[in-house]
Amino acid sequence: MESRNNKLTYSLIVIVSLLTVAPVIMLIIGSFSNNLHTFGNFTLNKYVSVYTDPMLFSILGNTAFFVLGAAAFATILALFLAYLNNRTDIPFKFLFKVLSVMPMMIPHVLFGVSWALLLNPSNGILNMWLVKLLNLSKAPFNIYTIWGMIVVEGLLDLPVAYLIISPAMGSFDASLEESSRVFKSGPIKTLFKITLPILRPAILASFILCIVRGLASFSVPSVLGMPGRIYVLSTYIYRVVTMSLIADYGKAAAIGMSILLISVGLIYIYRYYTRYSDKFVTVSSRGFKPTVIELRKAKAPLFIVLLIISFVLILLPVLVLLYTSLIPYIMVPGKQAFASMSLQNWRTVIKDPLSLRSLKNSLFLGVGGATVGSFLSVLVAYVIVKVKTKASGFLESISFLSFSFPGIVIGIGFMWYFVRTPLYATIWALFFSYLATYLPYGIRPMTSAFIQIHGSLEESSLVSGASFGTTMRRIVIPLLVPGIVSSWVLLATMFFRELSVSVVLSRPGTEVLAVQILRFSEDGQWGRLSALGIIMIVISTVMVLGVNAIGNRYKPGEVREKRRPKTIATNRLD
Amino acid sequence: MEIKIRGLKKHYFSEGKIIKALDKVDLDIEANKIFTLLGPSGCGKTTLLRCIVGLETPDEGEIQIGDTIVWSKEKAIYVPTEKRQLGMVFQTYAIWPHMDVFNNVAYPLQNMKMPKKEIAKRVAKTLKFVQLEGFEKRPSTRLSGGQQQRVALARALVAEPKVILFDEPLSNLDAKLREETRKELKMFLGELGITAVYVTHDRVEALALSDTIGVMNAGNIVEIGSPKKIYFDADHQFVADFIGRANLVPATVVSQGADSTIVDTSMGQITCYKRSFNREDELVLCLRPEFIAFDKTEKEYVNQIPGTIGQMTFVGEVYETEVLVGKQIIMTKLDPETKYKVGD
Repeated sequence: MESRNNKLTYSLIVIVSLLTVAPVIMLIIGSFSNNLHTFGNFTLNKYVSVYTDPMLFSILGNTAFFVLGAAAFATILALFLAYLNNRTDIPFKFLFKVLSVMPMMIPHVLFGVSWALLLNPSNGILNMWLVKLLNLSKAPFNIYTIWGMIVVEGLLDLPVAYLIISPAMGSFDASLEESSRVFKSGPIKTLFKITLPILRPAILASFILCIVRGLASFSVPSVLGMPGRIYVLSTYIYRVVTMSLIADYGKAAAIGMSILLISVGLIYIYRYYTRYSDKFVTVSSRGFKPTVIELRKAKAPLFIVLLIISFVLILLPVLVLLYTSLIPYIMVPGKQAFASMSLQNWRTVIKDPLSLRSLKNSLFLGVGGATVGSFLSVLVAYVIVKVKTKASGFLESISFLSFSFPGIVIGIGFMWYFVRTPLYATIWALFFSYLATYLPYGIRPMTSAFIQIHGSLEESSLVSGASFGTTMRRIVIPLLVPGIVSSWVLLATMFFRELSVSVVLSRPGTEVLAVQILRFSEDGQWGRLSALGIIMIVISTVMVLGVNAIGNRYKPGEVREKRRPKTIATNRLD
Repeated sequence: MEIKIRGLKKHYFSEGKIIKALDKVDLDIEANKIFTLLGPSGCGKTTLLRCIVGLETPDEGEIQIGDTIVWSKEKAIYVPTEKRQLGMVFQTYAIWPHMDVFNNVAYPLQNMKMPKKEIAKRVAKTLKFVQLEGFEKRPSTRLSGGQQQRVALARALVAEPKVILFDEPLSNLDAKLREETRKELKMFLGELGITAVYVTHDRVEALALSDTIGVMNAGNIVEIGSPKKIYFDADHQFVADFIGRANLVPATVVSQGADSTIVDTSMGQITCYKRSFNREDELVLCLRPEFIAFDKTEKEYVNQIPGTIGQMTFVGEVYETEVLVGKQIIMTKLDPETKYKVGD
C-alpha cells in the first residue's frame, strides 16, 4: 500500500509542480530580467524602478485598507448570517442556501458593474433618481471610492466566509453550549465566551481567506477603482502590462513579487493559528440538533435585514443588468425608459463575433477545466488526507501555493513560462493556468469530504480483497460525490467567469467572457455589456443547478444525515 | 491457519518522543482457536493486529500466516492487505453507508469475481448464519448498532477466510447489548472453528471468548495462557492485576506442601495452590475479592484471617467491602443481603 501511495504522491508532485511551482520560478526569474525577450539576463533595474516609485506607497496603503476592510465586512456579516441560520428560529431558511451559492453564478465583474451602474457619480441610476427625488445639487453617492470598493468586495466575499463559518457553526456540538448555559451564562454571554472562541479557527480562516481573495481581486478594483484612479496592487500590475506603450512584464513581475511575499506571509500566519485545529474538532458522529434560540421580538427586524441582504446580493445586480440591457442609454426607470426599451443590445451581442468566440472559449474552459480540475483534486486530496508522509505534506504545500497569490500575478508568471512554449496564445495556456490558479478551490471541498470518510471504510475494503482502484471506484468516490459536485461546481463557475489570469494571457482568438465584459465596461458599452452579462449568469445558473441535481441523486451523505436519528432511535429500542 | 510473528518492531515518533508500539514481539497464534490480545489502551495490541492484516507496516521482523510469509523486512516480502485473504471486523464496523446490506456483505465476493448467482447464495447463507435473514435490501444506514455489528461480521466471514481479526468489535455497543453480542459471537466462532485474533481491553470479554489470551503491555506480550491460567495462575503481577480485581500482598514462601504452597504475609500464613518456588522466595500474593468468604462464628477454616470491616459500597450485585487486617486493607465482595455491617 505504501509503495503505491508513494508512486501516486510523487507523480502528483510532478504534475502539480509543473502547474504551480513553475510559474512562480518563472515569475522570480522574470522579475530579475528586463523583458520577455531578454529572459535570464540578470538585472535589478525592475526592482529599483518599482520600489523607488513614490506612488507605490499610496498603492500599498490603498491595498491594505481595501483588503482588510472587505475581509472584516465579509466575515462579520457571515458570522451574523451563519448564526441566524444555524442557531435561531428565523423563517425562510432556504434563503441562506441561495445566498451562499448565488454569487457563484453572478460573475464578480458583473456584480461590480451593476453597482457602478447604480451608484456612479455622473449617471448612476440610483444617484440620478435620488437627485431628482430630493432635489440635490450633486450625486449623493460615489461608488468609485475606496469605501465603495470595500462594500462591494465584502459582499462578494460574503459567500466564501459564510461557507467556512456556517458548517462550523452548524456541526458544533450543542452540549458545549448547553453546559455553559447550565453554569448560568445567558445566550449572549455563551455566544462570546464559548461559541465564538470555539469557532475561532473558522473565523480566522474566513478572515484570512477573504484577505487573500481581496489581494487577488481584480474585478472590483478594475471596475470600481480605476475610474476613480484608486489603484491597488493588482490593478497597478494591469496598468503596467496593458496601459503603457510597451508592456513591461519585468516590472509587473517585480510588483508581483511583493504581493507574493505578503500572501505567503499571510498563509504562514494562517497555518500558525490553525495548527491545533484538531483540538476544535467538535463534529460528532452522532446525529444531533443544536439548540435553537427563539428570537421573539428581534425576529421581524432581523428578517428584514436578511431580506435586504438577499435582495442586494441576488436580485439587484440581475435587475440592474436586465434593465440596462434593454435601454439604449442609461436613464432613470420611468415612462421614457420603458418607451425606448428594445432588444437592440441583445441583437448586437448575438451577432458580435468577439462576444460569441469568448462565450465558446469560456464554456470550454468552464466545463473541460472543471472536469480535469476536480479529477486532479480528488487525487491530490486523497494523498493529502490519507497518506501522511513528508512527501504528501510537500504536495499539500505546493497545491495550496497558488492559493496565496492573485490570478494576475500567476498570469504574469505564466506569461514568462508559456512564451517559451507552443502553448503561448492558445486556449490551453488559459486552461492550464486556470487549473493552477484555482486548484486549491477544487481541493478544499475534497479534503473535507475525505476527512469525513473514516479510514476504516477504506481499510475494510482492502481487507475484503479489493484493490486500490476498486476501493477508490466503489467506496471512496461514491462517498465523495458531494465533495466532487461542490468541487466541480466551484471550479466550473470560477473558470467560466475568470478575469484576472485572463486579462494577462488572453490574446486575439482566445478571448473569454469576463475580459470581453471588461472591454465593454472600459468602452462604456453598458447595454451590450448587460446583455452579455445576463447570458453569462443564465449559463452559470443552469450549470450549477444541473450539476447539483445530478449530485443529489447520488448523495449518500444526505441519506446518512437524514436517517441518522432513526438509527439512534432503533439503537435505544434494542 | 496459524500465525507466526517474529521480532516485530514498530516505533512511532510523536512530539520528539519515541513510542514503542511493538517492541520486538514474538508470538505464535494457534490454528483454529480464538486468541485474544488483551491490554490497556496504548499497549500496542491494535498496532499488532493492523500489522497482521497489513494496514500498518512494521519497522522490523517477520509475519507468517499459514505457510505464507506476508511481511518480512529481511526477505523484503510485502503482501498487500487485499491479497492476504483475511476477514476483519473493525471497531467502527466500517459499514459502507452508500450500499445496502447485500452489497456490503457481497463486496469481498465481488472482488473475487465470483459469479452473481454464487454470490447471492453465499450472502444469503452468511446472513442467515448471523441471523440477519431477509435484510439484503435494507440500507445500511438503517441498522441498529447490533445489526451493524453482525453485518460487519457477515462481511468478514462471507469469503470464508482462514483467519478473522477483530478490533474491539463490541466497544461501540451499550453494556447490555455488548453482553448479548459477546455470547452470540462466542457461538458463531465456536461453530466456525477458524483462527480468530481478537483485540480488546475488556477483561471479561477476553476471559469469556478466548481459548488463549495474550496480555500486552507497553509494546510487549507479557504473558500467554488459557483464561484460567491468566486469571488464577498469572506469572506476572501486571497480568494478575489487569485481569481482575486483586489484592496484591507481599509474601514470603515458607514451605511446599503436597499440593499447596504455604506463604507468610503480614496477615499470617496462607495456603495457596501449588507453584514451584524456593523457600524464602519473596513474591506477591494475589487474592481475588470474589473468593474471600466471611464468617463471624468460631468455626475453623483453611486460610482463616481475622479482620474488621472498614467500608462497604453497594454496587448492585454485591457490596464492595474493605476489610482491615492489621494495617493491610483487603478488597472483598459481600452478598447484597448480608447481615454484616461496618465495624464487624
